[in-house]
Amino acid sequence: MGEPGAANMIRLAAGDNVGIALVDIAAGSTAATLDGLALRALEAIPQGHKIALVPIAPGADIVRLRMAVGIARAEIPAGRLVHVHNVASRYLNNDQDHYE
Amino acid sequence: MNSPAPLPSTASPAPAPVAMRGYPRADGRKGIRNFLLVAYLVECAHHVARRIASPYQGDGVQLIGFPGCYPSDYAQRVMEDLATHPNVGAVLLVSLGCEEFQRARLKEAIAASGREVELLTIQSAGGTTGSVAKGRAWVEARLAALAAAPTVPLALSDLVIGTKCGGSDGLSGVTINPAVGHASDLLVDAGATVMFEETCELIGCETHMAARAATPELAAALTAAVRKADSYYTELGHGSFGGGNIKYGLSTLEEKSLGAYAKSGSRPISGVLKPGVRPPAPGLYLMDTVNDGPVRYGIPNINDTQTITEMVASGCHLILFTTGAGSVVGQALAPVIKGVSNSRVFTRMEDDMDINGGTIADGIEGVADVGRRIVDAVRAAASGLPTKSEALGHQEFILSYKTYEPLGPGCLPV
Repeated sequence: MGEPGAANMIRLAAGDNVGIALVDIAAGSTAATLDGLALRALEAIPQGHKIALVPIAPGADIVRLRMAVGIARAEIPAGRLVHVHNVASRYLNNDQDHYE
Repeated sequence: MNSPAPLPSTASPAPAPVAMRGYPRADGRKGIRNFLLVAYLVECAHHVARRIASPYQGDGVQLIGFPGCYPSDYAQRVMEDLATHPNVGAVLLVSLGCEEFQRARLKEAIAASGREVELLTIQSAGGTTGSVAKGRAWVEARLAALAAAPTVPLALSDLVIGTKCGGSDGLSGVTINPAVGHASDLLVDAGATVMFEETCELIGCETHMAARAATPELAAALTAAVRKADSYYTELGHGSFGGGNIKYGLSTLEEKSLGAYAKSGSRPISGVLKPGVRPPAPGLYLMDTVNDGPVRYGIPNINDTQTITEMVASGCHLILFTTGAGSVVGQALAPVIKGVSNSRVFTRMEDDMDINGGTIADGIEGVADVGRRIVDAVRAAASGLPTKSEALGHQEFILSYKTYEPLGPGCLPV
């Protein structure tokens, strides 16, 4: 179990395959939840961004708070950043929107 | 929504409940402000209206208006809803004189609501110079009486509160939006009326939301409202998901939706509203803010302020607004209480933020703690204390062309 304040990540519901970074998590450091789930971050996970908690197969749902919030575009190993580069929307993809 | 931290709270104890008082209106509603509204009826009258209002910005004189010259049943109705809003005590209408807006009809509706109203027509009031002088004289003659107007006790059950997010980030759905959801539950339980909005930001949540509907007919109406938003935005090719959302960790529209939906809390949903329709009874409502009919007039809600304006037209006294990236908006008629999802932005923009929800991610407070602080902030704002955006003089307002059909059967089963 983590010490109070030691958690740098939250899994919003049991069974979710992504965690959310509560603070910036550096590449190579440990991402850990309050309830003791821990894994190594294979790359930097900025605050508010998602990290794969388990290997996610291409075409599988990205599950956050028990809800499918996207579809994996490619194999996503545990510990990798889960974001627009490897996630597609079931709805709009907004290709015309600008991303700084 | 889960709280990350069952930790002891280090937040300061809740302040003693504030004695809220409101301005009684002839229609039975009570206002939490007693604004004098200066309203232009076409863009050509905007400058004159702004000149009239600007010396009195700190004195409760607020500027709104409709820029279009072509007739609009929607704009006519929303302007009437706003000019007779409970937070408004008197209205000065500023017309150029040749626009299509039905100014006499609006003036009659305001007068019938028991409010003082004057119609200033620039073309017959001496142009810019004469109109500004006449307008300011009318305003100055009313400020003292508005400030001294009698008040009556006000309860949370007298309040209509809208929730809205703008500039959401990856923590919005973890921290501040669930906290607003908890506040929404507390407010509904206290007999208040709460509305959430923007069906385009509920795409992906429709099944869960429909299960909270009071009746099967309402469940169908909730689902249909979200489907309409989905098809409307698909045809536009542009959804409510942008670069700012991506920059701060949101990957898809449906992930953004999940976070936005958290603002609605957990209580049963009592009905679907459209802009200008007032909730018939206390409870929780969804406002459908997407045009009916074929896609026209472009993007339905061009910015956060447009949706806020529509919730205010349906009677919201104040707005709970959440942000991750850091929005600064206020509103001309309804005080805005702003909450932020992370401590980094709170620290950077503390003058603009009423509530820091970043304490949840920091492990200092739980979602319920921040939710209670939001209800305390509602009480404070409803007792007359200015919110951060009010103190900074924010008066954001926009109204543009839209079309709505009347509510369908099953939308308001109450």
